[in-house]
This record gives sequence, structure tokens and C-alpha cells, in this order.
Amino acid sequence: MSTRTREIVLAVRRFQAMLVKELKQLGRDRVLLAFILYAFTIDIFLAASGVSLSLNNAATLVQDHDHSAASRELTGRFRAPYFRIDGQVAHDKDGLAALDQGKAMVVISVPEGLQKNLATGRQTPVAMQVDTTNSVLGFLATSDAQTIIARFGLESALAKLGVAANAGNMSGLPVVNNEIRVWYNPNQDDSWFMGISEMLNIATVFSVLLPAAAMVREKERGTVEQLVVSPLSPLGILLPKVVSMTGVILCGIALSLFLVLIPVFGIPVKGSLGLFFGLSALYVFTTAGLGLFAATIARNLAQAGMLSILILAPMLFLSGAWTPPEAMPEWLRGMMYASPLHYYLDVAFGVLLKGQGASELGISIAGMSSIGLGVFAAGLLLFRRQFD
Amino acid sequence: MIWQRVFAMAHKEWREIVRDRLFFSLAFVVPALLMVLFGYGLSLDVENIPFAVVDQDHSAASREYAWRFIGSRYFQFRGYSESEREAGQQLASGQIRVALVIPPQFGRTLGRGQAAQVATLVDGTFPSRAMTTKGYVTAISTAFTLQSLSARVAAQSGASVEVVQKALQPVTLETRYLYNQSVSSIWSLAPKLIMVILMLSPPFLTALGVVREKENGSIFNIYASNMSRGEFLVGKLMPYVLISTINILVLWLLATVLYQVPFKGSFLFFLPATLVYVLCTTGIGLVVSVLVRTQVAAMIVTMIVTMIPAVLYSGLIIPIVSLGSGASIVAHLMPAMYYTDIVVGCFLKGVGIESVWRPLLVLTGFAVVLFMLGYAGFSKRPST
Repeated sequence: MSTRTREIVLAVRRFQAMLVKELKQLGRDRVLLAFILYAFTIDIFLAASGVSLSLNNAATLVQDHDHSAASRELTGRFRAPYFRIDGQVAHDKDGLAALDQGKAMVVISVPEGLQKNLATGRQTPVAMQVDTTNSVLGFLATSDAQTIIARFGLESALAKLGVAANAGNMSGLPVVNNEIRVWYNPNQDDSWFMGISEMLNIATVFSVLLPAAAMVREKERGTVEQLVVSPLSPLGILLPKVVSMTGVILCGIALSLFLVLIPVFGIPVKGSLGLFFGLSALYVFTTAGLGLFAATIARNLAQAGMLSILILAPMLFLSGAWTPPEAMPEWLRGMMYASPLHYYLDVAFGVLLKGQGASELGISIAGMSSIGLGVFAAGLLLFRRQFD
Repeated sequence: MIWQRVFAMAHKEWREIVRDRLFFSLAFVVPALLMVLFGYGLSLDVENIPFAVVDQDHSAASREYAWRFIGSRYFQFRGYSESEREAGQQLASGQIRVALVIPPQFGRTLGRGQAAQVATLVDGTFPSRAMTTKGYVTAISTAFTLQSLSARVAAQSGASVEVVQKALQPVTLETRYLYNQSVSSIWSLAPKLIMVILMLSPPFLTALGVVREKENGSIFNIYASNMSRGEFLVGKLMPYVLISTINILVLWLLATVLYQVPFKGSFLFFLPATLVYVLCTTGIGLVVSVLVRTQVAAMIVTMIVTMIPAVLYSGLIIPIVSLGSGASIVAHLMPAMYYTDIVVGCFLKGVGIESVWRPLLVLTGFAVVLFMLGYAGFSKRPST
């Protein structure tokens, strides 16, 4: 029994020694450390504060051929927050030039005779030119314009029919008022989404790159030979590396959460922080397996770098944050379900914004841990084989 | 600068790259693969939104209203839910993103000629998707309202429903989509993907290539040789620029052949302009490599400096005009944004140097400054 205890004590001591070695090695690379700090604070701040995916103040030009009260009333409805009227253009050419140079996103032209047609009941086509270089915004601008025009048309038609139809006074008519309630982010604050997803992306980048690099570096410099002749088992070499990197990344996540996301952007932590950090640790630890995978294949750091881009870029872009699974082709959806980040995304948004607990997130947790553990085990196995 | 030395350096570097088979093949495979993956996977269209209906009314009108959504290609019907609570749970678990709640008395209220209330619950975790969804919901609801209103007016006035419907829409909107007539997102995406991929891969190759010599110590050969700094840097970077040039052609072919994006501009302008951009991104790799000492740091710094701005601050997903002030400054400090103007102009707008000379000039400036920084930072007598 006592030999058993001694073995355990020895293993713990070796683990400690290796852990200290890894942390020291990381700590001495000042540039790297500075960039880890930058990524978890300033970069996340920039992403959360600076990026808005919604239609805000789309630069709009008006070409008014009618010059009537009706046309002024109609174009006056294109206003903030979606549109911003930047002025009038006289000719088609000027409007097109503004669109070409990117100075305007929308040009609305009201034809002559709008007011007269409204009185006589003839339909008037209003033309709208949209720069759809960005298709999402192009769509949003069109759909908002459609709503504005339909509303204007309906109101003036009903007014002509003698029915009072002010904005709030349609209750006497068989209309459907669809009240849209947006959950989990009632103001559609882009900074919540951008901030959290950026934090997850950064954590992913580091949890693949740091362990991979730490491993390949030993290989490339030949210090791995020293480790092989030492009384350390392959797991004894690998585990301290992964654990130390996980610790560093968790500190980074804590920094960005408590220094940036919560105080600056007011992200509500609806669920338990303990659960979030526990699951983050699980995620980082298992994703490190992917890095080890790259490290075992690569013979030098340049190879490891290219391989990790190959792993990281699809993981980051196809996680489901930018493109929902239902919009992806079948074969890519399969790949997405194999990416641990997809589950981590659900977990992080679930805990932080939706206030879900472990039981509601069961499927995601199971998916994340089974994929992660599988990859980690495979990475370990390959790594072990290299020692023999 | 003695060109013989430069070519000798380039030759040495080229051999080193080619002999590292895995690295060499990855240098070509990674950009092409990313182009294929993102082209198919990074769709910004919001379609097939999974949704459920809570119909507490069970009337003909409520079924018709629900059918407007079920039949739409934007929504994917996932069945009726018993209660608002159940729908809420489905929404929380991510099974559905939208729930339509039709309260009791919906049909009767409409039948009496009064306004009826309906509620739609939208998952706001992804704000831009929630915005688009709101647009769809409003459009469908407006169409239904118009129909029910015209039926009512028609019944009262005796005119036919079509006539009334037309009278209720005295103004129509005729939309013309410019530059991307079908609003298909691959057309707007593919040119920008070229920009992103050329932002990712050249700096990575370059930074690793230069720092590798530093970390291995083989750079001391250069320090001790009679080769000048300029000769070393030019010779060293030449093979990487060559690889990236081949990648430009591959990416262009993928965009035009695989994704069938129309190329309206002139190729003879596109290629040199893109080459300037590649010189810029290579320059970023160079600057990173003189700053850091280890390859690990080189990898991570390059990743943070290039990948994240290339995605967020380049106009790929978010147009520059909707960026906040901090992010906008970052965007203007990166070459990606300027190249976006050029690549989109070449592909979709068919404009030439006369309208994009300004961004091209800025890119050239970037390339010059970056190479000067790299030259100044690279010393043959390092302090440590």
C-alpha cells in the first residue's frame, strides 16, 4: 500500500514540476502573453462595441418628381433608425453615381402624379434602387421599405374611403396586429451576440494553437528527447501541458467576462457562472485534443500552423453563429455537428442569456464531451505511438 | 542590391518549402479548401426558419393565418404546440426559432370586423437573424391583413375583391437590386472570400518562414554572410509571393467556375491589384516576424492580427458604414477593407482603375510602409 501511495505522491510531484515548467515557458514569451491579454480584452471590446449587423441609418437619396404634399409625406416616412435621408437627387445619373461610389445605399424615386393618382385611385409605382452588395442589408432595406409603402398606401386608401385610419386607430377594422416579442435579447443588442461569440472564438483559437505549439516546439528543438528519457509517461508529459493551457485560457475568459462583457455591455448572466466555467474548462480541455492531433501529424511548427488553420477556420465560421444549421447543405451540417464549438456556442448562450441549467443543456453537453473526449483519446493514442 | 544573391536566397527558400511536402501541399490546399467550405457553408440567407404554431382558436381564420407561414419558403413548420409554455421550452432548447401564438377568439374578432391580436415569439440570440425574421413575419401578416380587409370592404361595397385589393394599394414598390440582381448571397460572398483567404494565408506563410530561421538559429548564417538586409528579405519573400500568386488564380477560378460569379471587370487590372494586396498581407507577416522571437507567438499574433479583422472589419459580413467608431478605426488601419472595394468592384460592378484608384493607392501605401517597417525592424545585429 505504501509503495502505491509513494507512486501517487511521485506522480503528483512530477505533474507539479511539469506544470510549473509549462507556465514559466509561457510566461517568458512576453509578446505572446501581451497578445493573449489583448485578445481577451481589447479585441473583444472592439468586436462587441463596433459591430452591428442590423440596418442602421442606411444612406438614402430621394428623387422626387412629384413635389407634392403626398410625396413629401411618403418620403418623410423613411426615417431613423432604419433609413437616413441624405438629400435629393435631380437625375437618375446622379443617383446611380452615388450608388456606384458607395455614398448611398438606397435611392427612392417618386414618379410624377403621385398625389393626383391617389385622388383618382390609380396605382402609382414607386421605384427603389438598392445596393445589394451586402445581401442581408439589401434584404432588410427592401422589407422595411415595403412595410412603409404598404402602410402609407393603406392609410391613404382608407382615408379616401372615409375611414379614419391613423396609426393607432385601425381597431375598428379586421386587421391583424402581430406583436413580435424577441426573447433573450429584447433590444436585439448586437454587442451581446458579437461579444460572446468573439470570446468563444478567441478561446477556441488559443485552445487549439497553444497546446499544439507547445508540443511541436519540443519536437522541433529536440527537447522532446529529454522528456522521453525522463521518468515521465506520455500522459505525464501531455497532461500538464493541456492543464496549464486550460488554466491560462480560463483566466482569459474570466478577464473578458468580468472586465469587458458584464461591466461594459451589461450582458445578463442569467444562469450559473459555476456551470459556465465548468463547461468552458471541459470545452477547452477537449478542444486541446484537436491541437494535439495536429501536433502529432506535423513535424515542424510551420506544418502545425497550417494544419491548425485548416482545423480552426471551418470551426469558427461554420459553428452556427453566422449561418444557422438549417441554411447549410446536408454534408456541411454533418461537419457542423462534429464541431465541438457548435455545442459550446449553445451552452454559452444557453447559460449566459437564456439561463438554462445542466439538465436543459444535456444534449449539447453530451455532444461536446463525447466528441471532445474521442478526439482527445485519439490524440493521446497517436502521441503515445510516436514515443515507441 | 545584387540580384544574384537575391535569387540564391529565393532558390534556397523555395527548395526548403518544396522539400517540406506537407507544408508545400497545405500552402495550396488550405486556401482552396477554405473557399469551397465557406462558399457552401457561409450562407447569410435566412431561410427555412424552424417554427411552431400555438393555435388556441382552432377556427378557419386562425388556420388560414397559420398556413400563410407554413406555406412560406422562409419558414419550416415543426408542428403545433399545445401551449405557449411548451413553445417557450422549444424556443429555449433551440428546436425552433419562432413561435406563432394565435389567441382564442381570433377568428370571431376578425369576423366582427375588429382588430385581432397575434403574438410572435422570436429567438433573439442572433440579432441579425431575429431582424430578418421580423421582416418576414411583418410582410406575411401585412399580406393577410390586406386580404381580410379587402374581403370586408368588398362585401360592404359590392365591388370585386381584386378591385378593392388594388384600391387599397395605391402605391406599389418596384425594387431594383443593383450589383447583385438575384440577391443571392454567394455572389456577394465569393469575391469577399478571396479577400479573406488572401488575408489569412500569405502572412501566415511568411511569418512562419522568417521566424523559423530565427528560432532554429539558421539565421546566424545570414547575419554572418555578406548578404544585405534588403537582399535577404526580398529573396526570402519571393517564393511566398509566388505561392500566393498561384493561389490568386486558383481562387479566381473557383469563384468564376464553381460559384459562377460573373466577372464584369478586367482581369488585367484585377491581377496586379490583387498582387498589391498580397504584398500588403505578406508585409503584415514580415512585420509580425520581426516583432516576435518564437514561432508560437508568430502563429498567434498573425492569427489575431489578420483573421479577426478580416472577418469582422473588412465588410465581409458587416458593411463598414455600420461599424462603430473604434472598430471603424481598426478597419481603416487594415488593408482588407480597401481591397474589398477593388474585388467587389471588379467582380460585381465591372469598374476599373478609374473608380477604384483611391483604394489601390492606399494599398500601395500600405505595402510600402509595411515593407519599410519590416526592413527597419530586421537587424543583422540583434540586441539579444
